[in-house]
Amino acid sequence: MKFLVRRFLHSVFLLMGVSLLSFSLLQLTPGSFFDEMQLNPQISRATVSRLRAEYGMDRPMLQRYVCWLESAARGDWGLSFAYNAPVAPLIWARARNTLLLTGLALPLAWIIALPIGVLSAGERYRWIDRGGNLVASVLLVTPELLLALGLLWLALRTRWFPAGGMASVVPIKHGAAAHIKDLVQHLFAPVTVLVLGSLPVLLRHIRSAMVDALQTPYIKAARSHGIPYLRILFRHALLAASSPLLSLAGLSLASLLSVSLLVEVIMNWPGLGPLLLEAILARDVYVVVGAVMLSGLFLVCATAVSDVLLFIADPRIRTEDLA
Amino acid sequence: MGCHFTKGLPALLLSSVVVCLIPSSVSAQSPLSKEELLISNDPVGHPGGHLVVSLRSEPKTLNPVTSIDISSREVIAQMTGDLIHINRFSENTEPALAKSWKVSRDGLEYTLKLRRGLRFSDGSPLDADDVLFSFHAYLDEKVNSPQRDLLLIGGKPITIQRMDADTLVFRLAQPYAAAERLFDSVAILPRRLLEQAYNDGKLSQTWGLDTSPQQIAGLGPFRLKEYVVGQYLTLERNPYYWKADREGRRLPYLDQITFIFVPNADAEVIRFQAGDTDMVNRLSAEDYAALEKEQTAHSFHVYDAGPSLEYNFLLLNLNSSLPAQSEIAKKQKWFRDVKFRQAISLAIDRDSMIRLIYRGRGTPLWTPVTPASSFWIDNAIPHPPRSIDQARKLLQQAGFSWSRNGELTDDTGSPVKFSILTSASNSQRVQMATIIQQDLKELGVSAQVVSLEFRSVADRIFRSHDYEAAVLGLAGGDTDPNSQMNVWLSTGNDHLWDIGEAHPATSWEAEIDRLMEKQLTTLKPQARKILFDRVQEIIAENLPIISLVSPNVLVGAKDQLGNFRPAALDPHTLWNSQELFFSVTVAARQR
Repeated sequence: MKFLVRRFLHSVFLLMGVSLLSFSLLQLTPGSFFDEMQLNPQISRATVSRLRAEYGMDRPMLQRYVCWLESAARGDWGLSFAYNAPVAPLIWARARNTLLLTGLALPLAWIIALPIGVLSAGERYRWIDRGGNLVASVLLVTPELLLALGLLWLALRTRWFPAGGMASVVPIKHGAAAHIKDLVQHLFAPVTVLVLGSLPVLLRHIRSAMVDALQTPYIKAARSHGIPYLRILFRHALLAASSPLLSLAGLSLASLLSVSLLVEVIMNWPGLGPLLLEAILARDVYVVVGAVMLSGLFLVCATAVSDVLLFIADPRIRTEDLA
Repeated sequence: MGCHFTKGLPALLLSSVVVCLIPSSVSAQSPLSKEELLISNDPVGHPGGHLVVSLRSEPKTLNPVTSIDISSREVIAQMTGDLIHINRFSENTEPALAKSWKVSRDGLEYTLKLRRGLRFSDGSPLDADDVLFSFHAYLDEKVNSPQRDLLLIGGKPITIQRMDADTLVFRLAQPYAAAERLFDSVAILPRRLLEQAYNDGKLSQTWGLDTSPQQIAGLGPFRLKEYVVGQYLTLERNPYYWKADREGRRLPYLDQITFIFVPNADAEVIRFQAGDTDMVNRLSAEDYAALEKEQTAHSFHVYDAGPSLEYNFLLLNLNSSLPAQSEIAKKQKWFRDVKFRQAISLAIDRDSMIRLIYRGRGTPLWTPVTPASSFWIDNAIPHPPRSIDQARKLLQQAGFSWSRNGELTDDTGSPVKFSILTSASNSQRVQMATIIQQDLKELGVSAQVVSLEFRSVADRIFRSHDYEAAVLGLAGGDTDPNSQMNVWLSTGNDHLWDIGEAHPATSWEAEIDRLMEKQLTTLKPQARKILFDRVQEIIAENLPIISLVSPNVLVGAKDQLGNFRPAALDPHTLWNSQELFFSVTVAARQR
């Protein structure tokens, strides 16, 4: 219990720090949301000044931060200058799409990486290991941006799958099945990029954890007892290697999230990515702070879940906590 | 009933529409009785079809009073109507919700007659009270509408008086040339739906994107059907729209328009290539060239609609508010010499810019007015060809000389070096700055290109004035010189070369002030043209900004789209959305 309370308090402090840091950095960035209006010859300086005052941008930074904290406590997370609306609903509506993307890509990446990584470790220096290594190396040196552009090129050339978006605007058929099929088709390209982008790191970590586990005396003993090799790999060695892999699961969600923001922009996926990019460029301060906070929250939640799983899986951590 | 054009500016009142009173049976397609519909003279099309277009960002609001961003305005323009409209193709004003208007002899009073029997898209009737309410809302300082500034004439708000249910009188504090152009894009609001919010001081928060379609009504060809966060917004045909075609069929032809949101220009082109969208509103020259090769294979066409209103220019920092000891102030000694500015202008190869940046689809400029403003451009402004020799002579006359290694030095022996600031997000302007850098090398001038993120550039130009030179671009929303008053008046917000002048810093700026103020109150277009020609001459002589190039309007659309006529004014492609139609086969297939 102490462990969980400690984790929770750490998370609250971490999120406070993230909010203060992102808020301060954005204030220090030159330019403001209202600068673009000044380039419009039909809007007067007085109107721009009135709008700045309306949104509280004429107040000192600390005062604005306190106001934002109050607004965050109310659940609004500040007011977007561009949308003239509370930030929280804007972000949550798009975060769902981001979560759908990463929520599919993450398990898919693990489902693919786990057997390949385990077999690579079990068949060290044989063809499956070398093949896995080669694929991981190629994917590691290929930026996600290039993967995304390659898939877009393929989509345009072959028309096998959509070249962006989340749904067809003019559906050919109606009904839930047609909608799901349409969604799956639209998910194909961004999920593929995310899966391929996260595979090399997962493969290498799984392989390395498994190699360590396979060298332990109890695995050697199990082999000498004639237990089938595949059973040793997937039942005993994998369980022994699970601790570092559970930590990796939490971190892989965080890294996948940050990659997904980029992929969303390239693949026109209506998640947090396009909103965050537009808000950064437009200096829509509270939207940026809100999106950063949400990413921070995802990271905290993911690591918390992996910590809890570790707590359950690893008796050593439980012993530490009791002590 | 015939045309109701009145005196005032006859050259600007030519229109492609006539006003007719059509008695007919009530149906979704045919006009209601006693409705004074506007009959379009454009070719007759086929009803039906679903048009899909892209927007480079998601609209932020559906509220015409507070909208600022281009995407919101583009959507709102489809849902709302104005009293007098600027035809984006002819660039002239034409009757819209107002069937006619009269201008008083002194030019201070505009009496507008509303079309009778019109309805908002929810079926509620339009009357003079809606117009009165709308203008009060736009003019209310507490609402902070960006359109308020347009409705201040001589610093005073336009006053409106309701004469009867169909007649309104608009009074101006001083004569204002082409005042009827002010009515364009001032969307008329339904008082019934918005008065409560206005009285509660919440008008600016209403009609956000989450508003239910039943709560939004307008007088545009389309009305809100569905908004899906981050993905698209669909408008459906307004069954009460006030325009009909020559056969008496109520417009618009299309059943629906869907705006899909894309994050950037590349995504816009990809979705068009993939066949997800039916038209693309703005193409770069590179994308135009790429799509041109594919057009026959993919049943679409790209169009070069000719010069745009965008003018790009080199700006030398002439701000007088900088501390005398600052590094920039030292360089301003060069910038303030008109011969130096003329030499820089002569050294710039505008033709190369057109060839390399716009692939020939642009126009070199020697005045900040582009050929898109065919009436206002002063064709007598000289177009001196690039001449390094001539530029060198001017620099010599100004006291500059060259060191042994060919470096240009001023009268104190200091080498002439400066940086050119530009927005990193606009690759064309970065290329312009790079070409200028290369061109100036031939004069012995060392220029460094500094590309920053757009808002950092704006911050330096408008607030800190921390720049030496900059490549910028402006695009007016209208061809009329009044839309650029803030650029040319010495006290204007966008008087870019010296922002915040309390008084004109030079005699030629004082003359520009006088000429611009005079043209503002001169009612005869030809007399205004003479005054504005003189402004252009002064700018061409003194070069406070060095005009460079203007890109053409490049767009694309599917072959099956009828009445597609791209225009120089925004929105280039959807300005006549009510008349756009798909061929019979496409419309039937979409149904």
